[in-house]
Amino acid sequence: MIRVESLTKVFRRPHAFSGPFGALRTLVTRRYDERVAVDGVSFEIPEGEIVGYLGPNGAGKSTTVKMLTGILTPTSGRIEVDGRVPWRDREANARAVGVVFGQRSQLWWDLPLIDSLRLVGDLYDVPAARFTGSLRRMCDLLGLDDFLDTPVRQLSLGQRMRGDLAAAMLYDPPILYLDEPTVGLDVLAKQAVREFIVDTNRAGRTTVVLTTHDLADVEALCRRIILIDKGRVLYDGGIDDLVTAYAPPRRLVVELADGETRTFEIAGGTSVPELIAQVAAEHAIRDLSIEEPDLESVIKQIYAESMR
Amino acid sequence: MIRPLAGMARIGLRFQLAYRSDVIMTVLALIAQVFLLRMVWTAVYGGSGQARGLTLDALLAYLSLANLQAFATTPVIPRIAHFRIRTGMVFFDLSRPTGYLSQMAAFQVGHTFGGLLMLAPAVPVVLLVGTITPTAQPLGYVATLSLGYVISVMMSLLICVIGFWTLETGAISLLYRLVSHFFAGTMVPLSFFPGALGVLAEALPFKYMGYVPAAVYVGHLSGGQVGRAVAVEVAWIAALAALLWAVWRRAHRRVVINGG
Repeated sequence: MIRVESLTKVFRRPHAFSGPFGALRTLVTRRYDERVAVDGVSFEIPEGEIVGYLGPNGAGKSTTVKMLTGILTPTSGRIEVDGRVPWRDREANARAVGVVFGQRSQLWWDLPLIDSLRLVGDLYDVPAARFTGSLRRMCDLLGLDDFLDTPVRQLSLGQRMRGDLAAAMLYDPPILYLDEPTVGLDVLAKQAVREFIVDTNRAGRTTVVLTTHDLADVEALCRRIILIDKGRVLYDGGIDDLVTAYAPPRRLVVELADGETRTFEIAGGTSVPELIAQVAAEHAIRDLSIEEPDLESVIKQIYAESMR
Repeated sequence: MIRPLAGMARIGLRFQLAYRSDVIMTVLALIAQVFLLRMVWTAVYGGSGQARGLTLDALLAYLSLANLQAFATTPVIPRIAHFRIRTGMVFFDLSRPTGYLSQMAAFQVGHTFGGLLMLAPAVPVVLLVGTITPTAQPLGYVATLSLGYVISVMMSLLICVIGFWTLETGAISLLYRLVSHFFAGTMVPLSFFPGALGVLAEALPFKYMGYVPAAVYVGHLSGGQVGRAVAVEVAWIAALAALLWAVWRRAHRRVVINGG
Protein backbone atom coordinates (compact mmCIF):
# COMPACT_ATOMS: atom_id res chain seq x y z
CA MET A 1 0.00 0.00 0.00
CA ILE A 2 2.79 2.40 0.96
CA ARG A 3 6.32 2.05 -0.40
CA VAL A 4 9.11 4.38 0.63
CA GLU A 5 12.61 4.01 -0.79
CA SER A 6 15.72 5.94 0.28
CA LEU A 7 13.53 8.92 1.12
CA THR A 8 15.53 12.05 1.90
CA LYS A 9 14.44 15.58 2.68
CA VAL A 10 16.88 18.41 3.14
CA PHE A 11 15.56 21.80 4.23
CA ARG A 12 17.55 24.77 3.01
CA ARG A 13 16.95 28.05 4.78
CA PRO A 14 18.71 31.41 4.70
CA HIS A 15 21.24 31.63 7.51
CA ALA A 16 19.76 33.48 10.48
CA PHE A 17 22.12 36.22 11.66
CA SER A 18 21.91 37.59 15.17
CA GLY A 19 22.94 40.98 16.50
CA PRO A 20 22.13 44.43 15.11
CA PHE A 21 20.60 44.35 11.62
CA GLY A 22 20.52 40.55 11.96
CA ALA A 23 17.05 40.32 10.44
CA LEU A 24 18.13 42.46 7.50
CA ARG A 25 21.24 40.38 6.89
CA THR A 26 19.11 37.23 7.04
CA LEU A 27 16.88 38.73 4.37
CA VAL A 28 19.69 39.43 1.88
CA THR A 29 22.17 36.71 2.71
CA ARG A 30 23.38 34.11 0.24
CA ARG A 31 24.47 31.87 3.05
CA TYR A 32 22.14 28.94 3.61
CA ASP A 33 21.81 26.46 6.42
CA GLU A 34 20.93 22.94 5.46
CA ARG A 35 19.16 20.57 7.75
CA VAL A 36 18.62 16.94 6.89
CA ALA A 37 15.18 16.10 8.25
CA VAL A 38 14.77 12.68 6.65
CA ASP A 39 17.85 10.74 5.65
CA GLY A 40 17.48 7.69 3.45
CA VAL A 41 14.35 6.21 5.00
CA SER A 42 12.93 3.03 3.43
CA PHE A 43 9.95 0.94 4.47
CA GLU A 44 6.92 -0.84 3.10
CA ILE A 45 3.49 -1.00 4.66
CA PRO A 46 0.99 -3.56 3.36
CA GLU A 47 -2.72 -2.85 3.13
CA GLY A 48 -4.65 -3.04 6.36
CA GLU A 49 -1.67 -2.78 8.71
CA ILE A 50 -1.39 -0.39 11.66
CA VAL A 51 2.20 0.75 11.98
CA GLY A 52 3.67 2.87 14.74
CA TYR A 53 6.06 5.46 13.33
CA LEU A 54 8.05 6.52 16.34
CA GLY A 55 10.89 8.82 17.16
CA PRO A 56 11.87 11.66 19.50
CA ASN A 57 10.87 15.26 18.77
CA GLY A 58 12.50 16.48 15.56
CA ALA A 59 13.28 12.95 14.35
CA GLY A 60 11.60 13.57 10.98
CA LYS A 61 8.23 11.92 11.62
CA SER A 62 5.96 14.78 10.56
CA THR A 63 8.18 15.57 7.57
CA THR A 64 7.72 11.98 6.38
CA VAL A 65 3.94 12.25 6.85
CA LYS A 66 3.90 15.52 4.90
CA MET A 67 5.74 13.86 2.02
CA LEU A 68 3.33 10.93 2.13
CA THR A 69 0.42 13.37 1.77
CA GLY A 70 2.10 15.13 -1.16
CA ILE A 71 2.37 18.51 0.60
CA LEU A 72 6.16 18.29 0.57
CA THR A 73 8.34 16.97 -2.22
CA PRO A 74 11.33 14.84 -1.24
CA THR A 75 14.86 15.98 -2.01
CA SER A 76 15.54 12.47 -3.27
CA GLY A 77 14.13 8.97 -3.00
CA ARG A 78 10.79 7.49 -3.96
CA ILE A 79 7.33 7.23 -2.48
CA GLU A 80 4.40 5.25 -3.76
CA VAL A 81 1.07 5.43 -1.98
CA ASP A 82 -1.63 3.13 -3.32
CA GLY A 83 0.26 3.05 -6.64
CA ARG A 84 0.61 6.83 -6.91
CA VAL A 85 3.42 9.29 -6.41
CA PRO A 86 1.78 11.64 -3.89
CA TRP A 87 3.10 15.04 -5.03
CA ARG A 88 2.69 14.28 -8.75
CA ASP A 89 -0.84 12.99 -8.43
CA ARG A 90 -1.75 15.21 -5.53
CA GLU A 91 -5.50 15.36 -6.13
CA ALA A 92 -6.04 11.60 -6.38
CA ASN A 93 -3.72 11.08 -3.43
CA ALA A 94 -5.69 13.64 -1.40
CA ARG A 95 -8.85 11.58 -1.87
CA ALA A 96 -7.09 8.41 -0.76
CA VAL A 97 -5.70 9.66 2.54
CA GLY A 98 -7.13 11.03 5.77
CA VAL A 99 -4.90 13.02 8.10
CA VAL A 100 -5.26 13.87 11.78
CA PHE A 101 -2.81 16.08 13.61
CA GLY A 102 -3.24 16.06 17.37
CA GLN A 103 -1.68 19.50 17.64
CA ARG A 104 -3.77 21.23 14.99
CA SER A 105 -7.31 20.90 13.79
CA GLN A 106 -8.97 20.98 10.41
CA LEU A 107 -12.25 22.07 12.02
CA TRP A 108 -13.49 25.64 11.65
CA TRP A 109 -13.02 27.12 15.08
CA ASP A 110 -15.96 29.54 15.10
CA LEU A 111 -18.53 27.29 13.48
CA PRO A 112 -20.57 24.33 14.76
CA LEU A 113 -18.82 20.99 14.23
CA ILE A 114 -21.42 19.86 11.70
CA ASP A 115 -20.45 22.73 9.33
CA SER A 116 -16.86 21.49 9.12
CA LEU A 117 -18.02 17.91 8.55
CA ARG A 118 -20.40 19.01 5.77
CA LEU A 119 -17.57 20.98 4.21
CA VAL A 120 -15.45 17.83 4.10
CA GLY A 121 -18.34 16.08 2.31
CA ASP A 122 -18.41 18.90 -0.25
CA LEU A 123 -14.64 19.20 -0.71
CA TYR A 124 -14.29 15.48 -1.38
CA ASP A 125 -17.54 15.35 -3.32
CA VAL A 126 -19.02 12.53 -1.25
CA PRO A 127 -22.46 11.60 -2.71
CA ALA A 128 -25.27 12.71 -0.38
CA ALA A 129 -26.50 9.21 0.53
CA ARG A 130 -23.00 7.96 1.27
CA PHE A 131 -22.27 11.08 3.31
CA THR A 132 -25.37 10.58 5.46
CA GLY A 133 -24.40 6.94 6.08
CA SER A 134 -20.79 7.87 6.84
CA LEU A 135 -21.82 10.65 9.20
CA ARG A 136 -24.24 8.33 11.02
CA ARG A 137 -21.48 5.76 11.48
CA MET A 138 -19.02 8.39 12.77
CA CYS A 139 -21.62 9.75 15.18
CA ASP A 140 -22.26 6.25 16.56
CA LEU A 141 -18.59 5.27 16.77
CA LEU A 142 -17.37 8.53 18.22
CA GLY A 143 -20.48 9.73 20.06
CA LEU A 144 -20.65 13.03 18.21
CA ASP A 145 -24.41 13.57 18.49
CA ASP A 146 -24.20 15.60 21.70
CA PHE A 147 -21.98 18.28 20.24
CA LEU A 148 -22.60 18.33 16.49
CA ASP A 149 -24.18 21.78 16.77
CA THR A 150 -21.64 23.21 19.20
CA PRO A 151 -19.06 25.68 17.89
CA VAL A 152 -15.69 23.93 17.78
CA ARG A 153 -14.06 26.54 20.05
CA GLN A 154 -16.39 25.38 22.86
CA LEU A 155 -15.49 21.69 22.52
CA SER A 156 -13.21 19.91 24.97
CA LEU A 157 -9.94 18.61 23.54
CA GLY A 158 -11.32 15.07 23.52
CA GLN A 159 -14.47 16.12 21.68
CA ARG A 160 -12.45 18.15 19.19
CA MET A 161 -10.19 15.20 18.50
CA ARG A 162 -13.20 12.97 17.88
CA GLY A 163 -14.49 15.60 15.46
CA ASP A 164 -11.13 15.65 13.69
CA LEU A 165 -11.12 11.85 13.39
CA ALA A 166 -14.59 11.98 11.85
CA ALA A 167 -13.50 14.71 9.41
CA ALA A 168 -10.50 12.62 8.33
CA MET A 169 -12.57 9.47 7.72
CA LEU A 170 -15.86 10.85 6.32
CA TYR A 171 -14.81 10.17 2.72
CA ASP A 172 -13.59 6.64 3.55
CA PRO A 173 -9.94 7.03 2.58
CA PRO A 174 -8.10 3.69 2.49
CA ILE A 175 -5.12 5.26 4.28
CA LEU A 176 -5.08 7.19 7.52
CA TYR A 177 -2.13 9.18 8.88
CA LEU A 178 -2.41 9.95 12.57
CA ASP A 179 0.12 12.37 14.04
CA GLU A 180 -0.08 12.24 17.83
CA PRO A 181 -3.85 11.73 17.91
CA THR A 182 -3.99 11.22 21.68
CA VAL A 183 -1.75 14.08 22.79
CA GLY A 184 -3.21 15.82 25.82
CA LEU A 185 -6.27 13.57 26.08
CA ASP A 186 -7.54 12.03 29.31
CA VAL A 187 -7.63 8.26 29.80
CA LEU A 188 -11.21 7.82 28.59
CA ALA A 189 -10.78 10.00 25.52
CA LYS A 190 -7.58 8.13 24.64
CA GLN A 191 -9.50 4.89 24.94
CA ALA A 192 -12.24 6.20 22.60
CA VAL A 193 -9.66 7.26 20.01
CA ARG A 194 -7.90 3.89 20.15
CA GLU A 195 -11.15 1.98 19.80
CA PHE A 196 -12.08 4.10 16.80
CA ILE A 197 -8.74 3.36 15.15
CA VAL A 198 -9.12 -0.38 15.73
CA ASP A 199 -12.70 -0.32 14.41
CA THR A 200 -11.90 1.59 11.22
CA ASN A 201 -8.89 -0.60 10.62
CA ARG A 202 -10.96 -3.77 10.99
CA ALA A 203 -14.11 -2.66 9.22
CA GLY A 204 -12.59 -1.01 6.18
CA ARG A 205 -9.13 -2.57 6.05
CA THR A 206 -7.83 0.96 6.49
CA THR A 207 -4.05 1.20 6.53
CA VAL A 208 -2.94 3.33 9.48
CA VAL A 209 0.36 5.09 10.07
CA LEU A 210 0.44 6.23 13.67
CA THR A 211 2.91 8.75 14.99
CA THR A 212 2.89 9.12 18.74
CA HIS A 213 4.93 9.63 21.87
CA ASP A 214 2.43 7.62 23.89
CA LEU A 215 3.75 4.07 23.92
CA ALA A 216 0.50 2.83 25.42
CA ASP A 217 -1.08 3.78 22.05
CA VAL A 218 1.53 1.72 20.29
CA GLU A 219 1.11 -1.28 22.56
CA ALA A 220 -2.68 -1.13 22.19
CA LEU A 221 -2.74 -0.67 18.41
CA CYS A 222 0.39 -1.76 16.59
CA ARG A 223 2.15 -5.02 16.11
CA ARG A 224 4.88 -3.41 14.06
CA ILE A 225 6.85 -0.24 14.66
CA ILE A 226 9.29 1.81 12.65
CA LEU A 227 11.64 3.67 14.92
CA ILE A 228 13.48 6.66 13.52
CA ASP A 229 15.89 9.21 14.91
CA LYS A 230 17.76 12.02 13.19
CA GLY A 231 15.99 11.09 9.97
CA ARG A 232 17.20 7.47 9.92
CA VAL A 233 15.44 4.20 10.56
CA LEU A 234 16.78 2.60 13.74
CA TYR A 235 14.41 -0.32 13.87
CA ASP A 236 11.64 -1.75 11.71
CA GLY A 237 9.82 -4.84 12.88
CA GLY A 238 7.54 -6.41 15.47
CA ILE A 239 7.23 -4.97 18.97
CA ASP A 240 7.81 -8.36 20.58
CA ASP A 241 11.01 -8.90 18.60
CA LEU A 242 12.16 -5.45 19.55
CA VAL A 243 11.73 -6.08 23.25
CA THR A 244 13.51 -9.44 22.99
CA ALA A 245 16.35 -8.14 20.86
CA TYR A 246 17.07 -4.95 22.72
CA ALA A 247 15.74 -5.83 26.12
CA PRO A 248 17.83 -4.32 28.84
CA PRO A 249 18.45 -6.80 31.69
CA ARG A 250 15.70 -7.35 34.26
CA ARG A 251 16.34 -5.61 37.51
CA LEU A 252 15.91 -6.61 41.12
CA VAL A 253 14.60 -3.66 43.14
CA VAL A 254 15.17 -3.99 46.88
CA GLU A 255 13.81 -1.78 49.61
CA LEU A 256 16.05 -1.98 52.65
CA ALA A 257 14.96 -1.83 56.27
CA ASP A 258 16.30 1.71 56.62
CA GLY A 259 14.06 2.86 53.74
CA GLU A 260 16.81 3.01 51.12
CA THR A 261 16.05 1.53 47.68
CA ARG A 262 18.78 -0.34 45.77
CA THR A 263 18.57 -1.92 42.31
CA PHE A 264 20.62 -4.83 41.02
CA GLU A 265 20.88 -5.81 37.39
CA ILE A 266 20.03 -9.43 36.74
CA ALA A 267 22.67 -10.31 34.19
CA GLY A 268 21.99 -13.15 31.74
CA GLY A 269 22.49 -16.56 33.34
CA THR A 270 22.18 -15.28 36.89
CA SER A 271 19.93 -17.29 39.16
CA VAL A 272 17.44 -14.91 40.72
CA PRO A 273 17.03 -16.87 44.02
CA GLU A 274 20.80 -16.84 44.43
CA LEU A 275 20.97 -13.13 43.84
CA ILE A 276 18.21 -12.54 46.38
CA ALA A 277 19.92 -14.76 48.91
CA GLN A 278 23.17 -12.88 48.34
CA VAL A 279 21.52 -9.50 48.83
CA ALA A 280 19.57 -10.76 51.88
CA ALA A 281 22.81 -11.97 53.45
CA GLU A 282 24.30 -8.47 53.27
CA HIS A 283 21.24 -6.31 53.99
CA ALA A 284 18.07 -6.32 56.00
CA ILE A 285 15.31 -6.36 53.35
CA ARG A 286 11.83 -4.90 53.80
CA ASP A 287 10.46 -5.53 50.31
CA LEU A 288 11.62 -6.59 46.88
CA SER A 289 10.35 -6.70 43.29
CA ILE A 290 11.61 -7.62 39.83
CA GLU A 291 11.29 -5.08 37.04
CA GLU A 292 10.62 -6.51 33.60
CA PRO A 293 11.87 -4.47 30.63
CA ASP A 294 9.01 -2.59 28.96
CA LEU A 295 8.74 -0.97 25.56
CA GLU A 296 9.59 2.43 27.01
CA SER A 297 12.87 1.33 28.53
CA VAL A 298 13.75 -0.51 25.34
CA ILE A 299 13.12 2.54 23.22
CA LYS A 300 14.98 4.79 25.64
CA GLN A 301 17.96 2.49 25.31
CA ILE A 302 17.84 2.53 21.51
CA TYR A 303 17.70 6.34 21.45
CA ALA A 304 20.57 6.48 23.91
CA GLU A 305 22.64 4.18 21.71
CA SER A 306 21.94 6.23 18.60
CA MET A 307 23.16 9.34 20.43
CA ARG A 308 26.59 7.82 20.81
CA MET B 1 -15.83 21.25 -9.29
CA ILE B 2 -18.81 23.38 -8.24
CA ARG B 3 -19.65 21.51 -5.06
CA PRO B 4 -16.34 22.04 -3.23
CA LEU B 5 -16.54 25.76 -4.02
CA ALA B 6 -20.18 25.98 -2.93
CA GLY B 7 -19.13 24.25 0.29
CA MET B 8 -16.36 26.78 0.91
CA ALA B 9 -18.72 29.66 0.10
CA ARG B 10 -21.18 28.33 2.66
CA ILE B 11 -18.40 28.27 5.27
CA GLY B 12 -17.56 31.88 4.38
CA LEU B 13 -21.20 32.87 4.75
CA ARG B 14 -21.53 31.06 8.08
CA PHE B 15 -18.30 32.62 9.26
CA GLN B 16 -19.69 36.06 8.52
CA LEU B 17 -22.97 35.30 10.29
CA ALA B 18 -21.10 33.85 13.30
CA TYR B 19 -19.75 37.32 14.01
CA ARG B 20 -22.99 39.22 14.33
CA SER B 21 -21.60 41.76 16.79
CA ASP B 22 -18.90 42.59 14.24
CA VAL B 23 -21.56 43.21 11.66
CA ILE B 24 -23.58 45.47 13.96
CA MET B 25 -20.44 47.57 14.49
CA THR B 26 -19.82 47.63 10.75
CA VAL B 27 -23.39 48.77 10.08
CA LEU B 28 -23.01 51.54 12.66
CA ALA B 29 -19.62 52.59 11.25
CA LEU B 30 -21.04 52.68 7.74
CA ILE B 31 -24.01 54.82 8.74
CA ALA B 32 -21.78 57.13 10.81
CA GLN B 33 -19.32 57.52 7.94
CA VAL B 34 -22.04 58.36 5.47
CA PHE B 35 -23.56 60.93 7.87
CA LEU B 36 -20.19 62.54 8.58
CA LEU B 37 -19.30 62.74 4.89
CA ARG B 38 -22.68 64.33 4.22
CA MET B 39 -22.06 66.99 6.88
CA VAL B 40 -18.54 67.76 5.69
CA TRP B 41 -19.35 67.92 2.01
CA THR B 42 -22.52 69.96 2.51
CA ALA B 43 -20.40 72.51 4.35
CA VAL B 44 -17.68 72.43 1.66
CA TYR B 45 -20.18 73.03 -1.12
CA GLY B 46 -21.79 75.91 0.81
CA GLY B 47 -24.14 77.57 -1.62
CA SER B 48 -22.34 76.62 -4.82
CA GLY B 49 -24.32 74.31 -7.05
CA GLN B 50 -21.57 72.32 -8.72
CA ALA B 51 -17.92 71.33 -8.37
CA ARG B 52 -15.96 69.40 -11.01
CA GLY B 53 -19.16 68.46 -12.76
CA LEU B 54 -20.83 67.04 -9.65
CA THR B 55 -23.87 68.56 -7.96
CA LEU B 56 -24.03 68.18 -4.18
CA ASP B 57 -26.86 65.66 -4.54
CA ALA B 58 -24.90 63.57 -7.03
CA LEU B 59 -21.81 63.79 -4.80
CA LEU B 60 -23.71 62.62 -1.71
CA ALA B 61 -25.36 59.80 -3.65
CA TYR B 62 -21.94 58.87 -5.00
CA LEU B 63 -20.23 58.87 -1.58
CA SER B 64 -22.99 56.85 0.08
CA LEU B 65 -22.93 54.27 -2.64
CA ALA B 66 -19.13 54.04 -2.79
CA ASN B 67 -19.01 53.44 0.99
CA LEU B 68 -21.78 50.89 0.89
CA GLN B 69 -19.85 48.99 -1.81
CA ALA B 70 -16.53 49.27 -0.02
CA PHE B 71 -17.96 48.07 3.29
CA ALA B 72 -19.83 45.18 1.74
CA THR B 73 -16.83 43.92 -0.21
CA THR B 74 -14.11 44.39 2.42
CA PRO B 75 -11.89 41.33 2.02
CA VAL B 76 -11.69 38.84 4.87
CA ILE B 77 -9.45 36.16 3.34
CA PRO B 78 -6.09 37.82 4.07
CA ARG B 79 -6.99 37.59 7.76
CA ILE B 80 -8.18 33.99 7.44
CA ALA B 81 -5.17 32.90 5.38
CA HIS B 82 -2.78 34.67 7.76
CA PHE B 83 -4.25 32.84 10.75
CA ARG B 84 -4.19 29.48 9.00
CA ILE B 85 -0.61 29.88 7.76
CA ARG B 86 0.66 30.86 11.20
CA THR B 87 -1.09 28.03 13.00
CA GLY B 88 -0.14 25.47 10.36
CA MET B 89 -3.83 24.82 9.60
CA VAL B 90 -3.01 25.75 6.02
CA PHE B 91 -1.68 22.18 5.79
CA PHE B 92 -5.28 20.99 5.56
CA ASP B 93 -6.19 23.58 2.90
CA LEU B 94 -3.22 22.43 0.82
CA SER B 95 -4.07 18.77 1.25
CA ARG B 96 -7.56 19.11 -0.27
CA PRO B 97 -8.37 17.87 -3.75
CA THR B 98 -9.50 21.44 -4.59
CA GLY B 99 -6.93 24.18 -5.21
CA TYR B 100 -5.99 26.58 -2.43
CA LEU B 101 -6.77 29.80 -4.30
CA SER B 102 -10.21 28.66 -5.44
CA GLN B 103 -11.03 27.62 -1.86
CA MET B 104 -10.08 31.06 -0.59
CA ALA B 105 -11.93 32.87 -3.40
CA ALA B 106 -15.08 30.84 -2.72
CA PHE B 107 -14.81 31.61 1.00
CA GLN B 108 -14.58 35.33 0.18
CA VAL B 109 -17.63 35.22 -2.09
CA GLY B 110 -19.68 33.49 0.61
CA HIS B 111 -18.45 35.98 3.16
CA THR B 112 -19.40 38.92 0.96
CA PHE B 113 -22.85 37.44 0.43
CA GLY B 114 -23.25 37.14 4.20
CA GLY B 115 -22.08 40.74 4.53
CA LEU B 116 -24.75 41.89 2.10
CA LEU B 117 -27.42 40.08 4.11
CA MET B 118 -26.22 41.68 7.32
CA LEU B 119 -25.83 45.13 5.76
CA ALA B 120 -29.33 44.99 4.33
CA PRO B 121 -30.87 46.87 7.28
CA ALA B 122 -28.43 49.76 6.68
CA VAL B 123 -29.25 50.07 2.99
CA PRO B 124 -32.48 52.13 3.37
CA VAL B 125 -30.68 54.53 5.74
CA VAL B 126 -27.76 54.94 3.37
CA LEU B 127 -30.05 55.43 0.40
CA LEU B 128 -31.99 58.04 2.33
CA VAL B 129 -28.93 59.93 3.61
CA GLY B 130 -27.42 59.86 0.16
CA THR B 131 -30.75 60.78 -1.48
CA ILE B 132 -30.08 58.02 -3.94
CA THR B 133 -32.53 57.64 -6.78
CA PRO B 134 -32.70 54.80 -9.35
CA THR B 135 -29.88 54.91 -11.86
CA ALA B 136 -30.20 55.60 -15.56
CA GLN B 137 -27.42 53.05 -16.30
CA PRO B 138 -28.30 49.86 -14.37
CA LEU B 139 -26.43 47.61 -16.79
CA GLY B 140 -23.25 49.67 -16.70
CA TYR B 141 -23.44 49.84 -12.91
CA VAL B 142 -23.83 46.07 -12.45
CA ALA B 143 -21.08 45.36 -15.01
CA THR B 144 -18.50 47.75 -13.54
CA LEU B 145 -19.34 46.70 -9.98
CA SER B 146 -19.16 42.94 -10.67
CA LEU B 147 -15.84 43.24 -12.47
CA GLY B 148 -14.59 45.55 -9.71
CA TYR B 149 -15.48 42.87 -7.19
CA VAL B 150 -13.52 40.26 -9.14
CA ILE B 151 -10.52 42.62 -9.09
CA SER B 152 -10.94 43.10 -5.33
CA VAL B 153 -11.01 39.33 -4.68
CA MET B 154 -7.92 38.81 -6.83
CA MET B 155 -6.01 41.51 -4.96
CA SER B 156 -6.98 39.85 -1.67
CA LEU B 157 -5.75 36.51 -2.97
CA LEU B 158 -2.47 38.17 -3.83
CA ILE B 159 -2.13 39.30 -0.21
CA CYS B 160 -2.99 35.77 0.99
CA VAL B 161 -0.19 34.36 -1.15
CA ILE B 162 2.31 36.97 0.05
CA GLY B 163 1.62 35.58 3.53
CA PHE B 164 3.49 32.42 2.54
CA TRP B 165 6.68 34.48 2.51
CA THR B 166 6.16 37.00 5.26
CA LEU B 167 4.10 34.77 7.60
CA GLU B 168 2.70 38.09 8.76
CA THR B 169 0.02 39.85 6.79
CA GLY B 170 -1.64 41.81 9.62
CA ALA B 171 0.17 45.06 8.79
CA ILE B 172 -0.08 44.51 5.06
CA SER B 173 -3.82 43.89 5.35
CA LEU B 174 -4.32 47.06 7.36
CA LEU B 175 -2.27 49.08 4.89
CA TYR B 176 -4.16 47.52 2.00
CA ARG B 177 -7.46 48.41 3.59
CA LEU B 178 -6.46 52.04 4.11
CA VAL B 179 -4.92 52.45 0.68
CA SER B 180 -7.69 50.61 -1.15
CA HIS B 181 -10.47 52.56 0.57
CA PHE B 182 -8.72 55.88 -0.03
CA PHE B 183 -7.92 55.21 -3.68
CA ALA B 184 -11.36 53.70 -4.19
CA GLY B 185 -12.59 57.21 -3.50
CA THR B 186 -14.74 56.49 -0.47
CA MET B 187 -13.88 59.83 1.19
CA VAL B 188 -13.31 62.06 -1.81
CA PRO B 189 -14.32 61.29 -5.39
CA LEU B 190 -11.36 60.64 -7.66
CA SER B 191 -12.21 63.61 -9.88
CA PHE B 192 -11.31 65.87 -6.89
CA PHE B 193 -7.81 64.39 -6.43
CA PRO B 194 -5.13 66.97 -7.33
CA GLY B 195 -2.31 66.50 -9.88
CA ALA B 196 -0.05 63.53 -9.35
CA LEU B 197 -2.38 61.99 -6.78
CA GLY B 198 -5.16 62.06 -9.35
CA VAL B 199 -2.94 60.41 -11.95
CA LEU B 200 -1.93 57.74 -9.45
CA ALA B 201 -5.53 57.09 -8.40
CA GLU B 202 -6.55 56.81 -12.02
CA ALA B 203 -3.78 54.33 -12.70
CA LEU B 204 -4.43 52.06 -9.70
CA PRO B 205 -7.12 49.37 -9.81
CA PHE B 206 -8.71 50.36 -6.48
CA LYS B 207 -11.09 52.80 -8.14
CA TYR B 208 -13.03 49.90 -9.64
CA MET B 209 -14.13 48.84 -6.16
CA GLY B 210 -15.69 52.19 -5.32
CA TYR B 211 -15.43 55.23 -7.52
CA VAL B 212 -16.09 53.80 -10.97
CA PRO B 213 -19.32 51.86 -10.32
CA ALA B 214 -20.67 54.61 -8.05
CA ALA B 215 -19.84 57.28 -10.61
CA VAL B 216 -21.59 55.22 -13.28
CA TYR B 217 -24.61 54.91 -10.99
CA VAL B 218 -24.98 58.66 -10.47
CA GLY B 219 -24.27 59.37 -14.13
CA HIS B 220 -20.90 61.09 -13.57
CA LEU B 221 -19.43 58.53 -15.95
CA SER B 222 -21.59 57.65 -18.92
CA GLY B 223 -21.73 56.33 -22.46
CA GLY B 224 -18.33 55.53 -23.93
CA GLN B 225 -16.65 56.10 -20.56
CA VAL B 226 -18.53 53.12 -19.14
CA GLY B 227 -17.50 50.87 -22.01
CA ARG B 228 -13.89 51.97 -21.62
CA ALA B 229 -14.00 51.31 -17.86
CA VAL B 230 -15.34 47.79 -18.47
CA ALA B 231 -12.58 47.10 -21.00
CA VAL B 232 -9.87 48.29 -18.60
CA GLU B 233 -11.38 46.20 -15.80
CA VAL B 234 -11.22 43.09 -17.99
CA ALA B 235 -7.59 43.90 -18.80
CA TRP B 236 -6.83 44.28 -15.08
CA ILE B 237 -8.43 40.92 -14.37
CA ALA B 238 -6.31 39.26 -17.05
CA ALA B 239 -3.13 40.91 -15.74
CA LEU B 240 -3.92 40.04 -12.12
CA ALA B 241 -4.72 36.46 -13.09
CA ALA B 242 -1.32 36.12 -14.73
CA LEU B 243 0.43 37.74 -11.77
CA LEU B 244 -1.48 35.63 -9.27
CA TRP B 245 -0.67 32.46 -11.16
CA ALA B 246 3.04 33.31 -11.27
CA VAL B 247 3.25 34.33 -7.61
CA TRP B 248 1.23 31.34 -6.46
CA ARG B 249 3.48 28.97 -8.39
CA ARG B 250 6.48 30.38 -6.58
CA ALA B 251 4.74 30.31 -3.21
CA HIS B 252 3.61 26.75 -3.72
CA ARG B 253 7.07 25.72 -4.79
CA ARG B 254 8.40 27.28 -1.64
CA VAL B 255 5.88 25.38 0.46
CA VAL B 256 6.56 22.00 -1.12
CA ILE B 257 10.28 22.50 -0.80
CA ASN B 258 10.61 24.22 2.51
CA GLY B 259 7.39 23.33 4.26
CA GLY B 260 6.32 26.98 4.64
